[in-house]
Amino acid sequence: MNVPRRHFIKSSAGAGVAFTALPFISTAAEPGRTFRTALIGSGWWGKNILKEAMEAGRSKIVALCDVDAITLENAAEQVKDLSRDQPKTYKDYRELLEKEKPEIVIIGTPDHWHALPAIAALKAGAHVYLEKPTAHTVNESKALLHVARETGRVLQVGLHRRIGPHHASAMKFLREEKAGKVGMVRLFAHGGGGRETPKSNSQPPDGLDWNFWCGPAPLRPFSSSIHPGGFRNFLDYANGTLGDWGVHWLDQVLWWSGENYPKRVFCTGGRPISGPAVLNDKEQTSDAPDHQVAVFEFENFTCTWEHRKFADNHAEKHKIGAYFYGTKGTLHIGWRDGWTFHPANDREPVLHEDSQLQEPDGHNIKLLWADFLGAIDSKRSPVSHIEAAHRSSTIPLLGMISWRLGRSLAWDGAREEFVADPEANKLLSRKYRAPWEYPAV
Amino acid sequence: MALPLKADDWPHWRGPKRNGISVETGWTDQWPSEGPKIAWKAKVGLGFSSFAVANGRAFTLGHASDADTVFCFEADSGKVLWKHSYPSDLGDKYFDGGTTGTPTVDGDHVFTLGRWGDLFCFEAASGKIVWSKNVQKETSAPLPDWGFGGSPLVSGNMLVLNVGEAGLALDKTSGKIVWKSADKKSGYSTPLPMMQGEDMLMLLGSGQSYAAINPKNGQEAWRIRWATEYGVNAADPIVDGNRVFISSGYGKGAGLFKLGSGQPENIWTSKVLRNQMNPSILINGHLYGVDDDESNRPSLKCVEFATGAEKWSQPKFGSGGLTAADGKLIILGEKGELIIAPATPERFQPSARAQILGGKSWTAPVLANGRVYCRNSRGDVAVVDVRRK
Repeated sequence: MNVPRRHFIKSSAGAGVAFTALPFISTAAEPGRTFRTALIGSGWWGKNILKEAMEAGRSKIVALCDVDAITLENAAEQVKDLSRDQPKTYKDYRELLEKEKPEIVIIGTPDHWHALPAIAALKAGAHVYLEKPTAHTVNESKALLHVARETGRVLQVGLHRRIGPHHASAMKFLREEKAGKVGMVRLFAHGGGGRETPKSNSQPPDGLDWNFWCGPAPLRPFSSSIHPGGFRNFLDYANGTLGDWGVHWLDQVLWWSGENYPKRVFCTGGRPISGPAVLNDKEQTSDAPDHQVAVFEFENFTCTWEHRKFADNHAEKHKIGAYFYGTKGTLHIGWRDGWTFHPANDREPVLHEDSQLQEPDGHNIKLLWADFLGAIDSKRSPVSHIEAAHRSSTIPLLGMISWRLGRSLAWDGAREEFVADPEANKLLSRKYRAPWEYPAV
Repeated sequence: MALPLKADDWPHWRGPKRNGISVETGWTDQWPSEGPKIAWKAKVGLGFSSFAVANGRAFTLGHASDADTVFCFEADSGKVLWKHSYPSDLGDKYFDGGTTGTPTVDGDHVFTLGRWGDLFCFEAASGKIVWSKNVQKETSAPLPDWGFGGSPLVSGNMLVLNVGEAGLALDKTSGKIVWKSADKKSGYSTPLPMMQGEDMLMLLGSGQSYAAINPKNGQEAWRIRWATEYGVNAADPIVDGNRVFISSGYGKGAGLFKLGSGQPENIWTSKVLRNQMNPSILINGHLYGVDDDESNRPSLKCVEFATGAEKWSQPKFGSGGLTAADGKLIILGEKGELIIAPATPERFQPSARAQILGGKSWTAPVLANGRVYCRNSRGDVAVVDVRRK
């Protein structure tokens, strides 16, 4: 494992150095001071992050933004219940940024609405906590990366598994080569599900600006299967399970290996169980695949991804996570089930560490938020910094492009483009719906 | 073995009086140390549907293999008398998925409404379909985010459903639509009949309000704006004289309103009791119910009806459902524990508890004819014998 190990040392130690060299606009960090904080995307997840911000005690919530008036009203009421803050409410994030001049912006919108508000917030001088993935298409993420570098603001991406205690200790375990040399990694996220029959389109509920919700993405007829809470399965707005869970686990792979990208990608899958994707003026289904298998060829190991949303049973020991197959044994890193090491030598004990999650969501947003504040205070790079999160968010998107094209693709990670493949390279961007403009790289 | 002193059927959601309270007395909560006797067990598939028990038959629903199944059991033995399956999606956005509505027995018939609008009228004895249709497709009422969750209500010759902004009525014998409301999202409560003066009204939890409608023509009498995140107004209102109590989860809270002519007048509003799914139960001026969302380790609480004052709270109780009879709460906790406790504002002091089911349960238990019908989300059914020996 010499090469990846060296890579790792370089990237982990080097990152901080690279970042301290960046220009910080902030005049002086004052540890302990309170930040004017705003939330863009005030649904369930956005509010969950906001609660951590409030509990940390260093945010004055000045504004909330959502394109759904009822969501906004509820969020404002909840903030008032939990604090003495009286946030102003906005439908348009641009107006919020201009009028409120927040110092911290939390972004909890669906994936298709990640890049534009994050870029706008950074340009407005705010530090940003952005829910993962960084973007819906590769070049949006790249544009965000460039803006983050230019502005020197702290951009923390919500990859809380970078700081979750059992993940951190599993990484240490792997890095100390306690699993030996790892030659293969298997990532997976399985759940239940079944056939999906088309559901009727309907008028958007009162107070929801559906046109704004769709924003730069295609305007589909409204259906409650999309919003709230269903967008991940609609490829106009997200990238299915691979673009969700896949980001977390591929991030662990990059973190562990120190490698930055795969050389080749192949992904296949479909909807044999959920049935064909339907979209017409009367009804629709989601269109994300109900299962996918992807192979990512890295320099020193092979990584596979699989997810399925059917056949939920106990045939397999774990439903979510990563297996690192090493010469000394296999390490499984999971979610609620912590990590478990199965030694190659039967006489050695199985090792296990429980997860240490915060409820009710079962994640570690509290730790990630504390790190975000620490990064702002000490002008350092946060643990889930954009350089890393950009790469982890990109790799699943490469898988999605291979899946769309139905063939394997060679990736030039240094240039961030497919090798001599204009058809695939076209899919690194998407056409935005007017008046929205695709962010320039 | 003897029947309780006073036995009763439970023919639909929330029981004969639609308040979650059974009139049964003389049942026992004195269990041996190994727990109460289980009369029978069954597996019905994934879901949260409760039971309707009438004329010696017990009905519920569950989901498996891309289909919902309506089960009719012999109430005494658990023998399956008939069942009917129809294609249906699992619908697991935000939760486990599966069925959520409870069957409604009306004389010789039983009605069921599925999450995607599949409505059936069966002969209760045979399971023969009298008529069926998909009301969502027929009316183009939008699906609420979790699908339709309220049970059908029989009112005279009408079947009233919580479909559309303020209900949908069909002729119960033919299934023909009599009136419909605006194509806006419904909530998840079961239509609740009440008398206001001379008028019979139906109360419905709608997407962003609670509405009172005239069941004859669907005309709205009044409406309380009650905007809740995700439009989840799921708990049935509780009516006491000229006062109406409503409550929702997602941080919303509860309100008591006084009915008069025109718009109801707010008496109090508070976050003290946030009923996300199951409605509370009102006994002797006190509400008993689960406060807060299932994901937040909710509390079990007693709250004074007139004032909203909290009398006691059991923190981190977990979600779950409850019913009551003979001054006692019958609670099925989230982890499948059956708990009996006197309904008193003094304190929460269970007189009996027993682990009946595993897994997760959000479904209120049902007491009918000396048996308590319990289920969990994965569809394990346990029917507990509480008859006095």
